[in-house]
This record gives sequence, structure tokens and C-alpha cells, in this order.
Amino acid sequence: MPSQPFTGRVQLPVLILAAVFLVVVMPALNAFGIIENFTLNLWGKYLCYSIMAISIDLLWGYTGLLCLGQALFFTLGGYMMGMHLMLMIGKLGQYKSELPDFMVFLGHTEIPAFWQPFYSFPFALAMVFLVPGLLSYVFGYLAFRSRIKGVYFSILTQALTYGMALLFFKNDLLMGGNNGFTDFRTLLGADLRTASTQRILYICTAVLMVAVVAGCKWLTNSRFGLIQRAIRDSENRVLFSGYATANFKLFIFVTSAMIAAFAGALYVPQVGIINPSEMTTEKSLEAVVWVALGGRGTLVGPVVGAISVNALKSWATRAYPDLWVLILGGTFVLIVMFMPKGIVGLPSQIQEIIAKIRRRSLQADPVQPAISSETADP
Amino acid sequence: MLKSIFKTLAPFLQSGLQLGVAFSLIGSVEAREVSIREMIASATVAKTPAEQRQIILSLKSNPSPEVVKWFDRWKSGEIFLHEDSSGVITPVVLTGAAAGDDSFATVRVSDGSPLLAVDSSAVRINPKEVEFAETDSGLRRAMREVADLAALADPDLSKRIRAIQDSAIGQKSEKLPELQLLLTTEKHPKAVRALEESIAIIQLRSPLAGERVAACERLGKLNSLAAQDTIRTILKEAEAAKDLPTAHAAKTALSAIEGHISRINAAGTVFRGISLGSVLLVVAIGLAITFGLMGIINMAHGELIALGAYTTYVIQNIFAAGLNLSPFGISISIPGMNLPAGSMGMYFVVALPASFLAAALVGLLLERAVIQFLYRRPLESLLATWGISLVLQQLLRLVFGANNVQVSSPSWLSGNWTVNDVVFGWNRVFVIGFAALIIVVTWLVLNKTSLGLLIRAVMQNRNMAACMGVRTERVNMMTFAFGCGLAGLAGAFLSQIGNVGPSLGQNYIVDAFMTVVVGGVGNILGTVISALGIGMADQSLQQYLGNPVIGKILVLGTIILFLQWRPAGIFVTRSRSLD
Repeated sequence: MPSQPFTGRVQLPVLILAAVFLVVVMPALNAFGIIENFTLNLWGKYLCYSIMAISIDLLWGYTGLLCLGQALFFTLGGYMMGMHLMLMIGKLGQYKSELPDFMVFLGHTEIPAFWQPFYSFPFALAMVFLVPGLLSYVFGYLAFRSRIKGVYFSILTQALTYGMALLFFKNDLLMGGNNGFTDFRTLLGADLRTASTQRILYICTAVLMVAVVAGCKWLTNSRFGLIQRAIRDSENRVLFSGYATANFKLFIFVTSAMIAAFAGALYVPQVGIINPSEMTTEKSLEAVVWVALGGRGTLVGPVVGAISVNALKSWATRAYPDLWVLILGGTFVLIVMFMPKGIVGLPSQIQEIIAKIRRRSLQADPVQPAISSETADP
Repeated sequence: MLKSIFKTLAPFLQSGLQLGVAFSLIGSVEAREVSIREMIASATVAKTPAEQRQIILSLKSNPSPEVVKWFDRWKSGEIFLHEDSSGVITPVVLTGAAAGDDSFATVRVSDGSPLLAVDSSAVRINPKEVEFAETDSGLRRAMREVADLAALADPDLSKRIRAIQDSAIGQKSEKLPELQLLLTTEKHPKAVRALEESIAIIQLRSPLAGERVAACERLGKLNSLAAQDTIRTILKEAEAAKDLPTAHAAKTALSAIEGHISRINAAGTVFRGISLGSVLLVVAIGLAITFGLMGIINMAHGELIALGAYTTYVIQNIFAAGLNLSPFGISISIPGMNLPAGSMGMYFVVALPASFLAAALVGLLLERAVIQFLYRRPLESLLATWGISLVLQQLLRLVFGANNVQVSSPSWLSGNWTVNDVVFGWNRVFVIGFAALIIVVTWLVLNKTSLGLLIRAVMQNRNMAACMGVRTERVNMMTFAFGCGLAGLAGAFLSQIGNVGPSLGQNYIVDAFMTVVVGGVGNILGTVISALGIGMADQSLQQYLGNPVIGKILVLGTIILFLQWRPAGIFVTRSRSLD
């Protein structure tokens, strides 16, 4: 298919090469001291964002559901992991207490019951999936059942995110209030502040990202993926053909929430902090920007978008702290208007433009102009 | 120590009261003036402290603000005791400016005439060299009593009522005769009510059981909030002392007062709910136009609100001393008109249309530059307008600074209006009135103008309208600009009731979207109902749970559940088309 040049089989070797580079070469270079620890850590962060971007693309690019709450699921996953990490600090905290510092600060004397099971890593890992999964299930069930779609869905997810962020900003929730969790020490006995632990975490993230890309590739190429895209293009037709679109949408919504949550769980030990400002709607929208910039409806696009925007951000926030937001906002408007297919779709878009110009020059020659094909374009 | 002072004072208190009852309270102002001055003068030179106190307490016969003024001068050492060569002591106050030798001209306290020496020359004294009239604690206590009495007769109603209410503190039965006397002369119903309340509160401590019961009943009838705690104490004491009639009366009174309080709270909640709903309405009405009628998700709506608020800020500064801004290192200085404070209140009248126009102009540019290309792609218009909102927000931050700016609201907004113990803040009343005004204006524009007709036609059936010769592009542009202008008005309005900062609109945007979604797209009445409903739900949940955040989250949850029942909002625009 000429309109989607990057999804063809020709590109597979490139993708494998990129995967090998991210999973094997980068950590190896780091181990030999060629890539700095800081850079590798930064890339670990980018890859977590990429996974979140893929989860957004799965919803938006493939199913046509623009969720403005993906940062919420990402952060929830991060919080679940953060709870385990907080307990692992043990008596090494500021107050030399078994309790996390913020609880001591709030005057608690024992660990609340819902924190207790988080001593166990498998439990925490299960919760990383279950809590966002359950939330997205309940919300998605209610939303899709009453056929809320399009912009209404976006607005409602925005409201959900807003409400949850308000909740997490409260100290009474015992989730650290607006300071969130930080000052982590160990994960599964390994010191988080050593380069080797961080390298392992990076490898995990890279492997997960490759796995997510591969899994989504499989899912979107399956019959399920076909229905998914059909829902995106004309939900009513799918519905009238006898498919329960709500169930398909619910499945994809919960899956993408879990993917985002897992990315969040990997993000927290690498960045070392999690707080409610990460779960605002602005963060979700920012992640949507990555997808839009990279190219939605493709699996490479979100990764390209997330990495390039965040690399740009890392540079611009230092070089032009005042203008960074202007750059981001401006880029975004321009992309939405002029590059609906994003970076990944740019070559095909250029091809189309060239083809159009050629067609026009061909049409200019005959005496009878055939304009009917042009006026049909909205 | 204190007790002994009190004992010595007791007879004077008595005599003072008798004097107060005996003398008429009304006298010609001039006569009173002179007599007050004379009495103060004689008090300052009286030989013994006891005599001084007696004279002071005799002033209870005509307590006036004038007396209190003289007391204050006395207490702050402004009355000097001039002793002439023959040993006659004259109390004087200083007047005019200091001369080169730090001396001042003097006037007599007794009649205000200049103090003359034997040779008819004016006496000048140096305050550092002459003794001033001193006061001791007993004297100050007597003065306070007279001052309290003066406050009870203060010509200013609110001061008088406060004094009456204060007189009940401590439930001293000595105060009863004064209050009862005042009750016979007081005309204003509010003051009469306060007097009855205070008298009853004091009578709760009466030794006579019948009087106590009657007092309880009266307080219950008056729904006295001030008496609640006292009645509770009385109830406890009466139960301990097995004083059944009093206990019963106290219980009845308490339940009456508690009922009254819950009614006040309910009324207050309704009022706050309506005013919050009005804020939502003002913020959401612009969205109801752009989103509801046009289907454009304008994420920059919040920034247009902020723009309106900043326009108000600029106009305010133009009316005052001007404004210096330095965006991108370029310094811009806007000259001010330096209007006097009195006409400052007028700035808001100018600011309202200015903020509407500023936001409408930006809206117009946005529509032409970006949104007109995205009418068929609502999700993408959401993303593009979010990008615009980032840019606008950052521009506001760069131009006006990241901190909140000060927009002063007219002083009349800070008052309140109390009806039957329910407080109606003027700012909230203003909020409701403003919202009503905007709704009426919007309704008129949509239903009574030709633009409104075109807007409705295009929104109902764009293609048909185009076929009939309506220039739909132009109508889109005007509609979007109108919706944005309403956002600007909302900004001017929010600047009067809260802080103005670059992220002002962000605080309201989610609520505003919810309001429009719940109201039903394309329906102004639906927006009104949903705004008021959400406002009321928010306030009553807050009142009930005592926690604003949980209340807000519950409201959001309720909205999601509500949309299960009515997915298209309160009012559904019926149509045969699918999507």
C-alpha cells in the first residue's frame, strides 16, 4: 500500500535493527562508559513515555477514541509501584521509621491496612495492572454502554482525570499528597541509585517497549484489529453488522490502560519521584501530542513522537525556558493543521502532494478542465 | 483587689443608674455640649478619686459620643492642668501649631474659650512642662461604663446594635434597667429585637424561675443565635438542679433555635449553590455557543477567559496610574489617566465591553487562522485549540508575569445584606445578577437578531442554509467570535471575585465542559439548568460532607452516572440523522 509505506514488510529489518540498538547496543555502550548514565536514564524515561504513547495510539489511532486520561493510568501504575518502593525504604528514611516519611509527618503511627500487602512485590505488580484496569473497566463500561463517543468521551475522561488528580492532591488519601512519593532506595534488594540497577531497568523498559510494539502489531493485524479500525471509521456500520462495539471498545480501553500503567510502573523507579502533577489532563494532552507528531494509526509513530518531543523538550527547556511552551503549542497547531499523518506519514504526504501537482499540470494541458475531483474535497 | 474596687464603686453605680433614670435623656444639643465639657472639666480638677468617679458616673444621664470623645482625650493625656500664679487649676487642651519654644495655645475644657492670663494675654504652655490630667483604673472603669451606655444610644444603628449585643455578655443583671429603659424609647425594629434578645439572655440568670422560663420562651421565639450557647449552659445547670420547668423551656427554645439554624444553613446553601451555578453559567455560556452550537471543542476557552480578566486589569490601570509591561524584553508603557478614586469604579463599565471585544477579536483570528479548517474534524479541533491554549497562556505569562495581578473590585461588592440571619454577600448577588444579564443578552442575540436567526439556521442545517444563500463561513466566524467574546466577559466577571493569573481559566474549564455536556448540546436553557444544578449539588455536598474536594469528585461521578440515564444531556436535540 503506497499510503502507508512504514507498515510494509520492507521496513521490518529497520525495526529489528532499531530494537536491537535500543535493547542491546545502548546498555552495552553504557556499560563500557561511552554513553553516560544520565543519558541512558533519560532514554529510559523516553521509552516509558513511548509505551504510554503506544497505548494512546491503540485507542486513538486505531479505535478513534481520544482518551485524555492516559496520564492517569500511567500515574496510577506508577503509584502502585511507588507504594512498594516506599515500603522498601524501611528505616532508611528521614524519620528513621518503618513508616514512609510523609505518614510520620502527618502523625500516623502505623502503616494503614491498604498499604500492608504492598510489602510483597508480586502483589504490587499485580496491582499495577489491576487498579488502573479496574478503573478503566468501570469507567469504560459506563461510558460505552451509554454510547458516549467522540468528543464527549474525551471530555469525560478529562473530567475523570481532573477528579482523580484532585483526590491524589489530598493528604487524607494517604498517598503522599502533593509531594507524592520520592527518595526510593531499593527494588527487589537492588540499590536503585547504582548505575547497574538503572541499566537493568532501562533494558526492562526497552524490552517491554519492543514487546508492546510487537504485541500491538499482532493485535492490530488480527481480525480484532480489523474490527477496531472499522469502529474507528464507521462505528454504526459495525454495530449494524452485529458486532457489540461496546465490548470491543471496552477491551481495547482496558488493555491500553494496563499498558500505560505498566509503563508508569517502570517510569517511577527510573525517575525516582511520582506525584499527582503527573496525572493532570495537561500531561495526557501532551502525550497525545507525541502521538499526533509521530503519526497516529502506526505503531512506530508514537515512539518516534514521544522520543523526539521529549528530546526537544529536554533541550528547549534548558535553552529557551520561556519559549518552550510556545514552541510546543505552536508545533502542535501546525501538525494538526498541516501534518495529519505526523512525521511517519510525512514521506507519503509529500508523495501525495507531488502526485497532486503532477495531476494538476496534466489537467492544465487539456482544453476541457475536469474539476469534479477537486471540488469533492472538503 | 478588683473586688475591693468593685465594692467601692457599687454605690456610685447605683447612684449613676438612678441619675440616668431620673434625668431626661433628651436635651438640646448645645446645652448638652456645654454641660458635658463643664462636667469633664470639673471631674479633672476634683479633689479625690472618689469625687472624680462620681462626676464621671453622673454623665450616665446623657451618654453621647461627645462624652466618649472627651474620655479618650483624657485617657490619652491630652487634657493639661494649668496652674496660674494664684494656685487656681484650669483644665485646658492644646490647640494650633507649636511655636518656636514648643509651646501651644490653649483653650479651656469647660467652655472652649481661650485661656487668658491676668493681663488678658493668651496662655501658652509647653506640654512637656505642664502636668496632664491622669486617670487611675477605677476612673477608667467608670469611664468605660459611661462609654458602654453611650454606645447603646449611639446614633449609628449598626454600632448601637453591636453595643446592645455586647451588653448581654456576662449576663450581668445590673445592665437590665438600662436596657429596659432603652427598649421604651428605641424605634428601629432591628435594635428592638437586639434589645429584647439581650434582656432575655440576661434574664436567663434571673433568680425567679418564672422569669427564666419566660426568657427561654422569648429567645426561642426570637430564634436567637447568640443565646444558643447560654441556653445550653442553662439547660445543663437546670438539669443538675432538677429545675424541671426551666429545663423544659430551655429544651424547647434550643430545638426552635436549632431548627432556625438548619433553615439558615439550607437557605445559605441554596444561595451559594445558585451563585456558584451562576459562575459556572457565565463561564460555560461561551462554550455552549462554540461547542454546543458549532461543535468546536475550544480548549482555549479558559485562556480567552483569562484574556478577558487581563483586559479588565489593563483598563483598571489605564484609569489609574498606567502600566508598564516588558514582554520579550521590550518595554511597553501604557499611560494612565490618573482619575480620582471616586470615578475609579467606572472602569468596570468600560472594562466589560473591552474584555468582550478583546476576546472576540482573538476568537475571530483563531477561527480564520485555524478553526475554519477543522470543522469536520472535532477531535482535531480539540487538539489544535489545546495547542493554542498553551501558546496563549504562555503569552499571557510572558506579558503580565507568572504571578497573579491585582484587580480591585468596587467597594460596594464587599458588603452584605442580612435577611433573617441569612447573609447575602453583595459579590454573590452581583454574580447572580450578572449571569442573568448575560443569559438574557445571549438569548436576545440568538432569538431576536438577524445574526441569531442565521446562527440557528446554520447550526440546524448547514447545507440547507448555504443553499438558501446564507454565507455560512461568515456566520461561523461571527458565532465563534461571539462565543469567545462571552468568554472574555466571563473573565472580566471572574476578575471581580477571585485572583487573576495566567492559569485562571484552567480552574474552570473542566467544570464548564461538564456543564455544557450535561445541559445538552445546542441548548441555552439546558446550560442554565445544568449550571444551576451542578452548582447546587456541589454546594450541598460540600455543606453535607464538609469537604470540598470529595464533594467535587462526587459531583463528577454523579455527572457520569447522569449521562448513563440521559447520554445527550438534559435537553436532546431531536434529529433523524445518525451521528
